[in-house]
Amino acid sequence: MNKKQKNITELICAVVSILTFLILWHIGVKGELGRLMPGPLPVIRMFFATLFGGTIGSRTMIIHILYSLIRVMAGYFLGAAVGVVLGLSMGWSRLVEAVFSPLFRIIRPIPPIAWIPISIIWIGLGEDAKIFLIFLASFCYVTLNAWSGAKNVDPDYLRAARMLGAGKRQLLFTIVLPASIPSIFAGLQVALSSCWATVLAAEMVRSSEGLGWIIIAGMNNNDMVQIMTGILAIGLVGMLLSMIFRKVEARLCQWNKSGS
Amino acid sequence: MSVEQKRKLITCTNIDKSFKVPEGIHQVVSDFSLEARENEFICLFGPGQCGKTTLINLIAGFELPDQGSILVAGKPVTSPGPERGVVFQNISLFPWLTVMGNVEYGLKMAGVPKKERQERAQKYIDLVGLQGFEHAYPVKLSGGMRQRVGIARAYCIEPKVMLMDEPFGALDAQTRYLMQEELQRIWQTEKRTVIFVTNNIEEAIYLADRIIVLSNCPATVKKEYVIGLPRPRQYTSPEFLALRKEIQQ
Repeated sequence: MNKKQKNITELICAVVSILTFLILWHIGVKGELGRLMPGPLPVIRMFFATLFGGTIGSRTMIIHILYSLIRVMAGYFLGAAVGVVLGLSMGWSRLVEAVFSPLFRIIRPIPPIAWIPISIIWIGLGEDAKIFLIFLASFCYVTLNAWSGAKNVDPDYLRAARMLGAGKRQLLFTIVLPASIPSIFAGLQVALSSCWATVLAAEMVRSSEGLGWIIIAGMNNNDMVQIMTGILAIGLVGMLLSMIFRKVEARLCQWNKSGS
Repeated sequence: MSVEQKRKLITCTNIDKSFKVPEGIHQVVSDFSLEARENEFICLFGPGQCGKTTLINLIAGFELPDQGSILVAGKPVTSPGPERGVVFQNISLFPWLTVMGNVEYGLKMAGVPKKERQERAQKYIDLVGLQGFEHAYPVKLSGGMRQRVGIARAYCIEPKVMLMDEPFGALDAQTRYLMQEELQRIWQTEKRTVIFVTNNIEEAIYLADRIIVLSNCPATVKKEYVIGLPRPRQYTSPEFLALRKEIQQ
């Protein structure tokens, strides 16, 4: 009952804060600013008008969103898979760490968008180049967190497992891997937002569909409503992604939470 | 003679152990010897940082002695192994596994089929009084319940020797008394050779067949008391209090 009341209060606050923001926006663009900035109503109208029905460019909004999402997911999961394997190996084996950590330390601080020119030269303008950039964005964060997760496993867990008869392989799969999961998930979460940012940058450089393209096309046509609609879609999808992510995490890391 | 030899389960002979510290070499255990017979309950009693935990770590095989030898069931100790169950002071349950998952872990590692290992784990979960909590995660359990899982987990691999490193040290006083009674009941149901480390004299007298009093760092045997009081013992009986007075001075 108490929790329900709290949820209702939170919901009311959320609605009030968003409505206030929209009203201020609406009033704010009434004057001179209105020439540079559309109000909220045309933006929302365009978003829903193009969502399934009308088109931006040659596609509906939902198709643009799907293009961006599929690119993100392909690169994200690829990067996450490689990152988990490499990161855990680096945390587990001194040798693997000694070989890969110098390279990784150099590659990690390079923002994924710095690879755009090279990816275009190497791989071309197609999907592969975009997925490669997203892969890099995901891979770096996930590797780093899997690595530190595996390195910081409580030594008492390892001692308890050895006492119970676990061999080396069993230690890796039954102790190091599960003990690193909270850290890996933290990496996956940052990686997801980084991938979402990277796909937009990649689409802004060269593409004919996707949310990044909507913004750039809007700029080229001097269509402020289209730009703002693209930005709104980016925010909404990003919010949805992290909400879904948190649900999955809560499911898989149940043991890590003392509440609920 | 040979019968006597057979019944000695743990033999520590003249163990020395020291660690390198920034100030030089820190000797933690000096010339420690101990013999434990089958199903004997031994308490190592000594002040705070006197090297008791190091002794447990040595017998468990987490550390190797600099000098001297440790034999468990006639075999020298070189690494941890399932014939020596350890109950840790900080419990160290695997938080990502349920109570059942923790207790059956050792059997799973040994490749025991699922049905059999769950039956065996259930037996020890029942023994420590946690039936109904099989599917709870450790984070939902109280300190006393967690240590019950710790005991069941070590029991479940059916070790010859149980090593307990201040297992109730982190519990509040009331839970501690309760757990002492519980441990005595468990041990009387499923007899094992137990080496139990404590800095609590009441706990030692309540539980032990024999108390080994250790000197402060480096740990070495200072005195030994055989406790012949019938079980279950009363904390406030005159014999109990007399022993307490005698050991404490």
